[in-house]
Amino acid sequence: MKLLKFSFAIIMASSLFVSCKKEDPLGPLENIPGLGGDEWVQTGIDKWIYDTLTVPYNIGVKYKWDQGEIDQDKTLVPPAESQIIPVMDAINKVWIRTYVSQAGLPFFKVISPKFFILVGSPAYDRGSIKLGTAEGGRKVVLYDINNFRIKGMPGYNPGVDTPGVIQMFHTIQHEFAHILDQNVRVPLTFSTSSANSYTSDWLNVTPDEAHNEGFITQYSISSRDDDWAEMLATLLVNGKSYFDNYVNSIDPANVTATGTTGAQARQRLRDKEAALVTYFEQAWHIDFYELQSRTRAAINNLLY
Amino acid sequence: MKKIILGFCSLLIILASCKKVDDSSVFTQSADQRLTAALAKDQAKLSGAQYGWKALVRTNAGGNFTFYFSFNDSNRVKMLSSFDSASAVTLKESSFRLKALQQPSLLFDTYSYLHVLADPNPASAGGAAGAGLQSDFEFYFDDANSTDDKIELVGRFNGTKTTLTRATQAERDAFLNGDLAKGLVINKILNYYKRITIGNTDSVDAYVDARSSYIISPDATGNLLDDSLGTNYTLTLGGLAFAKPLVVGTKTLSELSNINFDATTNSITAVGDGQPITITGVVTPMRVDVNAPSRWWNFAAGQGSYWITETGFHINGVDDAQHIQNLPGYYGFSIFWPEYGTSGGVNYDLFAPIVANSSGNASLAYGAAYRPPVFNADGRVVFRYLGTLGTVPGGANATYVAMRTQLAITRGYYLVQISNDPVSPAYHMVSAADGKAWITWLF
Repeated sequence: MKLLKFSFAIIMASSLFVSCKKEDPLGPLENIPGLGGDEWVQTGIDKWIYDTLTVPYNIGVKYKWDQGEIDQDKTLVPPAESQIIPVMDAINKVWIRTYVSQAGLPFFKVISPKFFILVGSPAYDRGSIKLGTAEGGRKVVLYDINNFRIKGMPGYNPGVDTPGVIQMFHTIQHEFAHILDQNVRVPLTFSTSSANSYTSDWLNVTPDEAHNEGFITQYSISSRDDDWAEMLATLLVNGKSYFDNYVNSIDPANVTATGTTGAQARQRLRDKEAALVTYFEQAWHIDFYELQSRTRAAINNLLY
Repeated sequence: MKKIILGFCSLLIILASCKKVDDSSVFTQSADQRLTAALAKDQAKLSGAQYGWKALVRTNAGGNFTFYFSFNDSNRVKMLSSFDSASAVTLKESSFRLKALQQPSLLFDTYSYLHVLADPNPASAGGAAGAGLQSDFEFYFDDANSTDDKIELVGRFNGTKTTLTRATQAERDAFLNGDLAKGLVINKILNYYKRITIGNTDSVDAYVDARSSYIISPDATGNLLDDSLGTNYTLTLGGLAFAKPLVVGTKTLSELSNINFDATTNSITAVGDGQPITITGVVTPMRVDVNAPSRWWNFAAGQGSYWITETGFHINGVDDAQHIQNLPGYYGFSIFWPEYGTSGGVNYDLFAPIVANSSGNASLAYGAAYRPPVFNADGRVVFRYLGTLGTVPGGANATYVAMRTQLAITRGYYLVQISNDPVSPAYHMVSAADGKAWITWLF
C-alpha cells in the first residue's frame, strides 16, 4: 500500500514536470500579412463600387487578380480598369434595379449573390468558351470583361459588340436563375414535357436540333436545371417577341430524329414558359412579364 | 518490486526531461514579421528606383519583349512594352500589389501591356487559344539571383523569367522619348529582302516578318526553308536584339543599336556588336532559285489544281493593298489556276477571286486569263494578260483591274518557297521590278 502511494506521488510529480509547458508569446498578430484581405491604396473605382453596390446591396466586386478565386489551371487575365465601372453600371441597371423595382429591396438583398469576380478574358474549355460561372448562390465569376462595349464607349460597334453584351446579361440571369431554383425549387411540371430529351452530350446537338426538340438554346438540352436557367435568361434578356418568334419558327410538320414533332416542340416551349410565369408568381410574387419588359427596356437603353 | 518502481521512475524521468529547444536564436522575429519586412523591402526597392526599371520579359511561346516599369508606393505602375508601335511609345498605367503567396510575390493585378502577352484570347497577341504566348503577370522574387540593381522574377503560372534592371536617367529619358520604337524603322524599308552588311565586307539578304517579329535569310537554294537561319527579334532601346545570332557572311550579328533610317537613300545605319551596319532594300536577291517558278507552276498544273491567296498583293508595306478582301461577296480567297481553259487555241491560266453566288456558295464568277507564263533563265516568271473571263460587276471593277494589272508587270516575279510540305507547299511571289510587291501562294 505504501508502495502504491509512493508511486502515485511520483506519477503526480512527474506529470507536473511534464506539464510545465512554457507559454510562447503570441507575437504581434496585427502584422500578419494579408490577414483581413488584400490591401491597396483605394482608387475611384473602389469608391464607386463601395458606394454603388456594397452600401445599398452588400455586393462586393473583386476585379484585381486573385488566382485563388478562379480556375487554377486555366490561362486567364485580369480585366482592364477602364472596363470595371461600365460593366458594373450596366449590371446595376439591367439586373439589380429591374429586380429591385419589380420585387422590392428585401427580395433582392436576400437572394442576390454577394460577390462578383471579374476576369478580363474568356475561359477556354475543350474548344468552347466559358463566359460565367456561379458558386453556391453567393459568387458569380464573369469572364471576357475586356471585350464589353456599350453605347457611348470608344470603339462601340453595334453589329460586333451587341452579342457579347447580351451574352453577359444572359450569363448573369442564367446564374441568378440557378440561385432562385436553389432557394425555392422549381416545380417538376416545368420539365415534364421535355424530360425524355435531356442529354449530357449537348455539345453534339446543334442549335437547330435543340430548337426543333423544343429547347430555347443548345445548352438547355443538357439538363433540367440548365433548361430552366436558359429559359429564364433568354426570356428576360431577349424579350417576349424574340421568344414568340423562336416558338413560331418551328415547322409544325417537322419530325426530329428522336421523333419529336414540331407541334410537340412548340408545346414544350409554351409549357415551360407558363410554368416559369406561374413559379415567379407563386414563389416570389413577381409579375414575370413586367419584369421581362423592364429588363428588355434597360438593355435597349444601353445598346441603342 | 523495487526494480519495477525504479524502472518506472527512470521512464518518467526520461519522459519528463524532454527539454524544449530554445529556437529563438534561429530567427529573432516571427515568420509574419519577417514576411512583412520582406514585402516592405521589395516595395521600397521597386518604387525606390528613381528612374524606374527596364525589363526583359520572356515568354514560352512568343520570344522576348523589352519593358519599362515605373512603380510608385500606392500600387500604381506605368509601363511601356516593345509589343507594338503603340505600346512602345504610350505609357499606360495599371495597378500592382505585393502579396505573401507561397513566397513574397509581385502581382500585376489589372490589365496592362504584360497581360497582352499572357492573354488567352488569340486576338490579343496570338498564340494558341486558351494559352496566349504563355507568359506571366504574377511573379515571385528570386532573391538568390537578384542584386541591388537587378530583380529576377519567376512567373508563378508559366514559370517564365523576367529580369528587371535599374534604369539610368539616360535610359529613362530614352524610354519616355519613344526610343523603344526606334527598331521599328526596320519596316521602313519596304522591300521583300533587306540586305544587311557588316563593315562593307559581309552581307546577307533577310526577310522580316514584322507581325511575328521574325527574321530569316534564304538557304543555299534561295528559299526560306531552313529554320536554323531564322530568329525572333525584340525591340530594345534604340534598336533590336536577336534571340539567337544572325549569320551574316562570315560573321554573326546579335543586336542592332543606334538605328537610324535615311529616307533619301532608303537605307538604315546602325551599330551591331560594335561594328558599323548598313541595311538596304533589295530588288534582285543574291540567291535566286531559278527553278522555283516552274516548280511552283507545275505543282498545281500537274494535279489539275490551283494555288490560293487570301489577301492578294502586299504592296509598299500594305497588306491587301488592292482590297481584294472587300470585293463584293468575297469568299475569303482568290486562286491562280494553271491551264484553266482554252481560248482561241491558247491554254490559259486564270487569276480570279472566289465570290459567293446568289445562294451563298463559293463560285468563280469572273477572272483574268493569261497566256502560258514565260520562265526566264534568271529565275523570273512573266505573266501575259489575255483577257477577262466572265462579267466583272461594277463594284468589283477597280480592284479587279488593279490585281489583273499587278500580276502582268512586264519585269515579272521571282519565287521563294516558304514551306516544303509535300502536300501543301507555300511560296512567296515577289516583284522583280522593285521588290516591294509580293503575294503569298498556298496550296
